[in-house]
Amino acid sequence: MSAAPLIRLAGVGKDYPKIDTAARRLRTLFTLAFGGRDLPHFRALDGIDFSLLHGESLGLIGVNGAGKSTLLKILAGVVKPTRGTVEVNARISALLELGSGFHPEYTGRENIFLSAALMGLSREEAEARVEEIVAFADIGEHIDQPIKHYSSGMVVRLGFAVASTLDPEVLVTDEVLAVGDESFQKKCIRWLERFREGGGTLLLVSHSMYHVQTLCRRAIWLHEGRIRQDGNAFDVTREYLSWHEERTRGEAASERARDTSLPHLVDSWVEDAKGSPAATFAMGEDIVMQGVASVPDGREPVLLFGIVRADGTPVFGSHSNDAGFLAADIGNGRRSFAVRLAAASLLPGKYAFRAHVLDPEGLRLFDTRETSFVVTGESRDYGLVRLAHRWEAGRGRRDGG
Amino acid sequence: MRWPHRYLLASFTRREVLNRYAGSAAGALWALAHPLALLGVYAFVFTAVFRVKLPPEFGAVGYTAFVAATLWPWLMFSEALEKGMAAVQDNAGLIRKVAFPHELVVFAAVLATFLVHGAGFLVVLCVLAAIGEPIRLAGLPWAFLLLVMLAVLTTGIAAALATVQTLLPDTKQVIGVLLALLFYATPILYPRTLVPESLRPAIDWNPLAWVAERFREVLFTGTGPTITDGAIALAAALALVLGLALFRRVSPHFEDFL
Repeated sequence: MSAAPLIRLAGVGKDYPKIDTAARRLRTLFTLAFGGRDLPHFRALDGIDFSLLHGESLGLIGVNGAGKSTLLKILAGVVKPTRGTVEVNARISALLELGSGFHPEYTGRENIFLSAALMGLSREEAEARVEEIVAFADIGEHIDQPIKHYSSGMVVRLGFAVASTLDPEVLVTDEVLAVGDESFQKKCIRWLERFREGGGTLLLVSHSMYHVQTLCRRAIWLHEGRIRQDGNAFDVTREYLSWHEERTRGEAASERARDTSLPHLVDSWVEDAKGSPAATFAMGEDIVMQGVASVPDGREPVLLFGIVRADGTPVFGSHSNDAGFLAADIGNGRRSFAVRLAAASLLPGKYAFRAHVLDPEGLRLFDTRETSFVVTGESRDYGLVRLAHRWEAGRGRRDGG
Repeated sequence: MRWPHRYLLASFTRREVLNRYAGSAAGALWALAHPLALLGVYAFVFTAVFRVKLPPEFGAVGYTAFVAATLWPWLMFSEALEKGMAAVQDNAGLIRKVAFPHELVVFAAVLATFLVHGAGFLVVLCVLAAIGEPIRLAGLPWAFLLLVMLAVLTTGIAAALATVQTLLPDTKQVIGVLLALLFYATPILYPRTLVPESLRPAIDWNPLAWVAERFREVLFTGTGPTITDGAIALAAALALVLGLALFRRVSPHFEDFL
């Protein structure tokens, strides 16, 4: 084990030439063969810097087209970067997409030998591992059928079996866990966990934040060909999910026209237990939501607060009149109010506090203000809030006796 | 050829050979059927219809044996060239997913073609010798050396054309036409001495004509190494160096075009 990184990328970028016309193809050919000016291109990756140390587990996340696959291909040596340097000091086993490196006309068994040859193994060395691979893939007699007759799940099983058995130092996989069935996924995850514990280095592309959080300690979020965030897997996946939530929500809530003669909200913010405005809270901290309403007619307004996840999913909300709460008159026709969530049990994620002001009858909604905040922490719980619960030994039978 | 990749080259070549005839009932016999049919047609047209008389320097050599001695090398060249230049596209699935020296697929295509037709060539030569054609079996080692040089020459050209073909799919059509012309421009169906004096210098510029003539010499008259062998070796080495240089220069970018 050495301190030198197994993989080091510095300023790596990749441009794909635009080759939609014959003339462009011809021009590209001459440029590549004899050198020359820049070509019209599409920038798939730009300014990628990172290194991967021995024993690290890195998840690569991002939307479709963010450059994840291109980056993996660069690491696997399939694609030559246009800019920057790539340093690889390890034996990499790459599983790029479905059926990577398999010949469709060949049987599963013959493809095992082909893959072994691609890794530089002799036929004898491959023979020694074939049974282990066949056992791991566990696809029965299909192993002697041509790959073209396989289901996508079987191809992935065989691919994973080959890549894992050929004893890599770095395993690079591209979204393979998503295809196998439940039991094979579990088998892969168990294998990956053992591989990692045994000092193996893992680089995983996945759209499953669960897999990334389970298998990786570190994550990189690629966005439009650049690294948007690189850090702890929990932090990066959370940011990524919030970004997604915000994006899908769109511009649903458009600004309401303000009429100052009607009740409206002057201000709202979120603060911590000590009273300093904050936007980030650790899970389980007190969260205090503050608001100031202006009520020109002087009548007592009904207040409503709500907490929504960044995508607009409601978490919880409540009326002031249910609690018999009356906002404090701070003069100038203004009322101040606050809602304290003691030891908030919101799960990590991005949320918004919404304050609404209604007429005294609680029928007309006059104004809404929204303030975002983030709850941080590491949790593998699902959903929005952590409900009080405890695990117990079950009774083992249905009847009360 | 790089040593660490020997298993991979062996695996690719194996695959090429097996794949060509996989699933067919007669298997590798088809490798003989096509050239034999061609040979039959040429023998019929030029001996029964046109009644070509070979010049006296060929002595007792029959027209069929005369054509056979150069038809197989030609087929090896033309078929290996076509398979070799298509190899990158044919293996796109692999090239896009796995890192390995791309030239191996070109090598394997050329090697497989030479192995398959080389075996057929040997069978045909033995049969011709058995039925009394004056084929000097002692010339076979020389013929083998000539085949090796031809294979190197073919590999070089195929590598260059595979590069162009990958970026410009039209190349295949152009080469198809050129190969058809080249077949008749090379003294395969006729001896060089039947060509009018004024056209002979043009033939002298065709390295395949050198190869064809040498095949006849070593198989029928048994002349040892000549200056032409040196010229062929030089042309082959030059083709390989230049072809591979172009291929290696562009091959890291193949993935962009597949």
